[in-house]
Amino acid sequence: MNGFVAPSVGGQLDVLLPYLVVAVGGLAIMLVDALVRTRRRDHLPFLTLLVLLGSVLAQLARSGGEEREILAGMMTVGDYARYFNLLFAGCGVLTTVFAGAVLERDGRGRPEFYPLLLFSILGMMVLAAASDLLTVFLGIETMSLAVYVLAGGVRGDVRSSEAGFKYLLLGGFASAFLLMGMALLYGFAGGTAFSDIAGALAAREGDLGLAMLGGGLVLVGFAFKVAIVPFHMWTPDVYDGAPAYVTGFMATAVKAAGFAILVRFAWLMQPQLAFVWYPVLAGLAVVTMTVGNLVALAQSSVKRLLAWSSIAHAGYLMLGVVTLISPATGGSAQMVLGREVGESAGSALLFYLLAYSLMNLAAFGIVASLGSREGEADDIERYAGLSRRRPVAAAVLAVAMLSLAGIPPLVGFMSKFYLFSAVVRAGLVPLAVIGVINSLISVYYYLRLLVVMYMKKPEADGYAGHEPLAVGAAAVLAGLVLLLGVVPDGVHRAALVVFRQMSF
Amino acid sequence: MPFITDHILSWVTFLPLAGAVLLWTVVRREGPARWLALGVALADFVLSLHLWFHFDAASGVDQFVEHAAWLADGRIAYRMGMDGISLMLVMLTTFLGPLVILSTWRAITERVAEFMGFLLLLQAAMLGTFFARDMLLFYVFWEAMLIPMYFIIGVWGGQRRLYAAVKFFIFTMVGSVFMLVGILWLYFQAGSMDLAAFLSLHLPRAAQLWLFAAFFLAFAIKVPLWPLHTWLPDAHVEAPTAGSVILAGVLLKMGTYGMLRFAMPLFPEAVTAFAPAVSVLAVIGIIYGALVALVQPDVKKLVAYSSVSHLGFAVLGLFSLTPLGVAGSLYQMLAHGLSTGALFLLVGVIYERRHTREIAEFGGLAHGMPRYATLFLVTTLASIGLPGLAGFVAEFMILFGTFNSGTLAHGRLLAVLAATGVVLGAIYMLWMYQRVFLGRRDNPKNEGLADLNGRELVVILPLVLFMFWLGVRPGLVLDRVEASIARVLAPLGVEGAAPAGHGHGALEAPAADLPAGQGQFVFRNAEMR
Repeated sequence: MNGFVAPSVGGQLDVLLPYLVVAVGGLAIMLVDALVRTRRRDHLPFLTLLVLLGSVLAQLARSGGEEREILAGMMTVGDYARYFNLLFAGCGVLTTVFAGAVLERDGRGRPEFYPLLLFSILGMMVLAAASDLLTVFLGIETMSLAVYVLAGGVRGDVRSSEAGFKYLLLGGFASAFLLMGMALLYGFAGGTAFSDIAGALAAREGDLGLAMLGGGLVLVGFAFKVAIVPFHMWTPDVYDGAPAYVTGFMATAVKAAGFAILVRFAWLMQPQLAFVWYPVLAGLAVVTMTVGNLVALAQSSVKRLLAWSSIAHAGYLMLGVVTLISPATGGSAQMVLGREVGESAGSALLFYLLAYSLMNLAAFGIVASLGSREGEADDIERYAGLSRRRPVAAAVLAVAMLSLAGIPPLVGFMSKFYLFSAVVRAGLVPLAVIGVINSLISVYYYLRLLVVMYMKKPEADGYAGHEPLAVGAAAVLAGLVLLLGVVPDGVHRAALVVFRQMSF
Repeated sequence: MPFITDHILSWVTFLPLAGAVLLWTVVRREGPARWLALGVALADFVLSLHLWFHFDAASGVDQFVEHAAWLADGRIAYRMGMDGISLMLVMLTTFLGPLVILSTWRAITERVAEFMGFLLLLQAAMLGTFFARDMLLFYVFWEAMLIPMYFIIGVWGGQRRLYAAVKFFIFTMVGSVFMLVGILWLYFQAGSMDLAAFLSLHLPRAAQLWLFAAFFLAFAIKVPLWPLHTWLPDAHVEAPTAGSVILAGVLLKMGTYGMLRFAMPLFPEAVTAFAPAVSVLAVIGIIYGALVALVQPDVKKLVAYSSVSHLGFAVLGLFSLTPLGVAGSLYQMLAHGLSTGALFLLVGVIYERRHTREIAEFGGLAHGMPRYATLFLVTTLASIGLPGLAGFVAEFMILFGTFNSGTLAHGRLLAVLAATGVVLGAIYMLWMYQRVFLGRRDNPKNEGLADLNGRELVVILPLVLFMFWLGVRPGLVLDRVEASIARVLAPLGVEGAAPAGHGHGALEAPAADLPAGQGQFVFRNAEMR
């Protein structure tokens, strides 16, 4: 093999370790499932948890997280990627706990679930660290292909199959947009690395029209993944059809991954392109919040309600992205104030994603735990009197709902506080007003669930599923929701450091 | 015990919270839950007495100050403090606390521990709101009040409790989210969430008008000022007795407190611009509330509408922009808290016995229930504003302040119109009293009703005692709030409201050489003019 130069991975092994742990772990679990037979087959969730734990340890073991390009510039690993990797691992852990409990209850073997979960997390991790358009595509497809199967893979369940298929078709559509945009960007910059694009933008070389169009198409691809109106059509059906533990994963980890790359990409394209895309994105953010909240008002299915609420939250998050690229932010090299506004928006986004994951996972965990073999706990009326049958589950769900509605002293309030203060700081007061009006609308439907659980008489056919482990995990999340609502400063500070490092 | 007295405000605020946590987790059985809640509320009252006795009345600045960095490198902090205005409302809150818990001893039989927990949680949030001197901290406490009240109405309320609870929640939220945007905007102007930093801003007039509107909406809904009052009758009627008492006694005062503490000193130019309009709304509220109360068939709803009328006085007093009117407004908050709180308690007493509140169902109750009828009469008279009882002092000061207001163009006309509200108040209250207590006992269901028992007397008598006390000894309150009001009104440049020295005598309590009575300071004020 003379003349062949193997890429030197050796020096980068330490930073690649978390990725390798997840990848190898996923493959190993597939093998274990094929070769090892135990009676209850409950070893798979344990192994999955072990793998995720291993990846977390590998993350934490690496000290000094300066941004660093690896694999010939394909990926940039640093605190930004690490922050998201920990978030993904956390979502993965909880999803595994919820899924393990529910699958055992339903007597459904779903051994492929665990490796697929790990592969999708691997895709997200790659996505969060991507610094090249090819890596972006690689990550997004690795994540999505696994999630298609997660959503659609409940055998014998037509709605789940429909969900998976719908997601697959529209996801493919989105990938086409993404690829087209990438092609145009390549045409503009002459390279696929982010550094090439940034260089070309800064030098104002090439055809800026191509860059604008390409950037826009890439944004469309991301908008599909994070469910921004009008690219949200798949969301209610897929969230409703997929089993609750998968929906929780999709609403948190997948969305966080989408925003991880969206924020990085928007920041990359920000200096020169803000003036083109900023008004469009601002409009989309407003429309997304408003549509999400208004439609959620009319839902009678808990999962659909949470689906529309997740669209609304994507709108709030988009508001953060808009602030990030707003003219007030003024470009990474410009005035100090602009930089501060950008940082406050970026750190607010990171904090919001964490907060949103906490409260949403708690909600979906409870929804998953309340179901039974006959079906999932989806009909809002059958939650009546839940506070008497399942006081802990009802309390956890109530905390999650109040937090989603943004009531202090819960983390949902603090995340909105950071977000809206960034918006106001950028001088976008009208957008902030629209945002708070929206969160006002949302109060109504979040309260509806509380009303049903606490203030209505129990019915005979009410949901009464009980999975102590899942409820316990959700209760821990609710505790964190309260804790971070009272003392959010540490995490927010970390988010600020993380964003600052990424944005330089 | 320095470890308590050094952080006395935190202790007073968070002791009820600790009680609530205990009630939700450990003490689940009914009996112990009741006693624990009562014990915690009493302990909180005792702690708050420390504030009363160690408060330096001569100084209008915040006392017992606590400070700890919270967010954004200390720009947002845990800042607590207490001046005379806060002191009065805090004492009202901690005083009502144990009484309310005692009043629910028999009325609440379902999920007792949860109920008591929510009452204590509500108390903690209310106290925090009065102490907070950081705008974000204030907002957190302010919003946190919603959750327990929402549950108290929604879980333990009457027939239409769901509607009432959600309406209460949404109405209050509507106001406060706009205030939040205003707070955020000010935060970036001031560079800190410290109230003092907000106060030292010099805002352009246009900004003041917008911000005042945002703040004022939040507070006006809470008061509630006509025409934003529609949530109140629903909430009151559906809430259990304890909820109504807290709502009328303290929660409504959050609105007037917020105006006095934040909306008025922060935006002085806007206040002068809006004062004529606001005072007209207040007068409409006074008369409208009274007229609607007049035709209510339900005693509780009657009392609820009387709150709209009484709180209209409080707002009118504030926006008369005279030290006298503002002090009267604060006095009205206390008087209304005592008398309306007591009225709701008394209505609850008869509701427990008869399970109805329809006036038409009653008649001649005085025959079988003399103690009840007597205490009800005293409370009724206090609510009307009979001289010698608390309400009189408040309404007199407010009307006098409005009459002499230099900033209200039609101050005299407004005072005259508002005074008709006093007359109407007498009509609806006395007419209600007549139909319920006097005359013949026609309805056989009203026979054999038990008179007030020991527990109920323990609940009502302290309230009645203070109605008298505040009625004859206004200095008790006015001495302590004078300096604070002068300080709060200083940014408004109100005549006679400059801190220390100038105009200091405006609210002076009766001097020793004059016979005791509430009139002197009023007339002295008149002489000064």
